[in-house]
Amino acid sequence: MRQETITEHEGGMWPWLFQRITAVVLILGLAVHLFALHIVDLGSLNYANVADRLTSVFFMVVDFSLLAAGLFHALNGLRMVLLDYGFRGGRRVALNAGLWVVGLGFFVYGVWALWPWLTA
Amino acid sequence: MPEARFRIKRWDPESDEAGAERYDEFTVPYDTSLTVLEGLFYVQERLDGSLSFRYCCRAAVCGSCAMYIDGRYRLACQTNVRHLTGDVITVEPLPHMPLVKDLACDMTDFFAKYEYIKPYLMRNSAPPEKEIPQSPKDRHKLDEPIDCILCGCCYSSCPSVWGEENYLGPHALLKAYRFEIDSRDQARRERLPRFDNERGAYRCHTITNCVEACPKELNPTEAIQWLKGAAVRRRILGRLK
Repeated sequence: MRQETITEHEGGMWPWLFQRITAVVLILGLAVHLFALHIVDLGSLNYANVADRLTSVFFMVVDFSLLAAGLFHALNGLRMVLLDYGFRGGRRVALNAGLWVVGLGFFVYGVWALWPWLTA
Repeated sequence: MPEARFRIKRWDPESDEAGAERYDEFTVPYDTSLTVLEGLFYVQERLDGSLSFRYCCRAAVCGSCAMYIDGRYRLACQTNVRHLTGDVITVEPLPHMPLVKDLACDMTDFFAKYEYIKPYLMRNSAPPEKEIPQSPKDRHKLDEPIDCILCGCCYSSCPSVWGEENYLGPHALLKAYRFEIDSRDQARRERLPRFDNERGAYRCHTITNCVEACPKELNPTEAIQWLKGAAVRRRILGRLK
């Protein structure tokens, strides 16, 4: 075993814990999402009806939670896989930073897409 | 006289190039009580004195003779040839481990990682005059993990170990669990940081090869999951244990 310092390997609990928390958020959020889209009758599928639903605070919260949880769960899962392939030290830091940039970028993009209804 | 055929993986660091392992076949007299380890003794004593393998207790207690026999992780001493199917018994060293010679693996890393998690009872008070009392209920929790004989089967079978040389491995984490759940152990910050990190408990992806491989039928995966939960309980909820 190469003698590496413990500090280099600190952490791991928060990613692990949030992977589980986001899993629960995804299950509940997806259930609401599917229920609202396919079971509850919201009227015909047209722009006005969808826009009307998006203005509700409840669906806004569900949608943004789903977006954030989905992005974290997917990218952290990818990180877990990649860490098995030699991402150590500086490369590990770069991987974490890169995934945060990608995740936050997509989240901002998602918020931007719904911005008109958020401010309506 | 009935016979058993052994097909044994061979490699000699002095005469063979790295990766140039070969298989030698030997015929051993068979009776219904013959174990694989006894077969190896016969080969070494009568047929080929250069065969190397580890053994000690011959009673499935010491964990020295763990090998890959007929495609499964087994202890040579507790594997009866009668229970193996097929015409030839294939005996190989533990896969994914550095070789010393023939069936003997280099266990240096294995034991370094075992020592790293401090596998002993830690107290923060003076030792009592007599014993440290423990209720039958608390003792019952230790029934399974104390059966670990450190044979290396779980470690050799774990894909997380293959991919990350610094991952502690199921054996070390099972041992950490064994002491963390012990009501007599009072370790606070001494052991926790050693398994609560990404080369410790969180590198386990619950593949459960270790559960499959363990000749003592223990469950290191479950123990590692418990350690992950214990880290949360202690660091976020402030529990002492």
